Amino acid sequence: MNLSIKQLFGRKPKSSNIAKQRLKLVITQDRVDVDDRFMTRLHHELAEVLAKYFEFSANSVKMNLKQEGNSYILVADFPYTKFHDMSMRR
Amino acid sequence: MGKVIVVTSGKGGVGKTTSTANLGTALALLGKSVVLVDADVGLRNLDIVMGLESRVVYTSMDVIEKQCELNKALVRDRRVDGLMLLAASQKNNKDDMQPEQMKAICDKLRTTYDFTLVDSPAGIERGFRNASAGADEAIVVTTPDVSAIRDADRIIGLLQNVEIEPINLVINRFSPQLVGNGSMMDQADVLDILNIDLIGVVPEDSGVITSTNRGIPLVYEDGSPGAQAYMRIARRLTGQRIPIPDLEQKGLFSSIVNWFTKNR
Ligand SMILES: Nc1ncnc2c1ncn2[C@@H]1O[C@H](COP(=O)(O)OP(=O)(O)O)[C@@H](O)[C@H]1O
Ligand SMILES: [Mg+2]
Repeated sequence: MNLSIKQLFGRKPKSSNIAKQRLKLVITQDRVDVDDRFMTRLHHELAEVLAKYFEFSANSVKMNLKQEGNSYILVADFPYTKFHDMSMRR
Repeated sequence: MGKVIVVTSGKGGVGKTTSTANLGTALALLGKSVVLVDADVGLRNLDIVMGLESRVVYTSMDVIEKQCELNKALVRDRRVDGLMLLAASQKNNKDDMQPEQMKAICDKLRTTYDFTLVDSPAGIERGFRNASAGADEAIVVTTPDVSAIRDADRIIGLLQNVEIEPINLVINRFSPQLVGNGSMMDQADVLDILNIDLIGVVPEDSGVITSTNRGIPLVYEDGSPGAQAYMRIARRLTGQRIPIPDLEQKGLFSSIVNWFTKNR
């Protein structure tokens, strides 16, 4: 309510909203940094799914999180050696 | 069998000691038997905030070093039945204590007292590990600002790793005016970020400072908003279901005030 009136009149965004957005981003990063198991778990689960379609060697896989402006991007490199075309055709 | 609850935060100065003193006193006023344990070895404060500093003879370190029995080290608060304090040693530092030693003390206290509240030092290092070693549950205290909340999130992760449950959040130094004009996050914002259960919101209250000056916990001053907030939290800790009142200022008036305030 408050917010919409202010937006209508072109006021600056509330600093509490800025605080919240910044916190959400930084805490996402903190949680990933701190929890080594998180990336390992994600790696395993992604590999499991991708293995249905591609063949790749586990130690060529690279995963990390990078910040771009207001959001984080998960970058996962799974260099594959071949398709399992059976699963592609289904 | 009682409960051992660690009061912690990550960041310093957010109100852990104030909350421990007031919640402990409030629980005793509700008829519970309570012991307050200062785990801030080397930087003890709970005794002075409680107004019991002149009566401390022994500390938890004396108990650990077997200089004295646990019961004899407890200072009785004469203002209310069933409230005790176990002071921290001022001449030692956090590494002089092992988490297992603190756990042993908590395990004993749990058999006699309904509530053992452990006042944790700031930080995520040894002092925090000592304080949480014997805890069944946790109260995480935060203020509604970015640094305190970020640190609270870190502490919550560490508490979850050692399976301390439940972890309840206290939002301290909440200012309805600042929330009203958009310069402070409200409870919904904080909960959205931290994602744990809220057990209470304590407003910014100058009574905290005057009561600390006197060494008389704020909860003895019935009328003050801070005292009422702490009494409600204590009731919730005893299992009573008491809704968390909305301390925020809403409505047309605050929107108008808001419109004119430049404070953002
Ligand atoms: N609700 C409150 N309103 C006003 N001042 C407060 C409030 N809570 C804490 N304070 C003040 O903040 C300071 C830090 O509190 P303290 O309980 O010692 O924090 P911590 O133990 O987390 O370091 C003290 O000066 C205390 O009086
Ligand atoms: Mg303290």
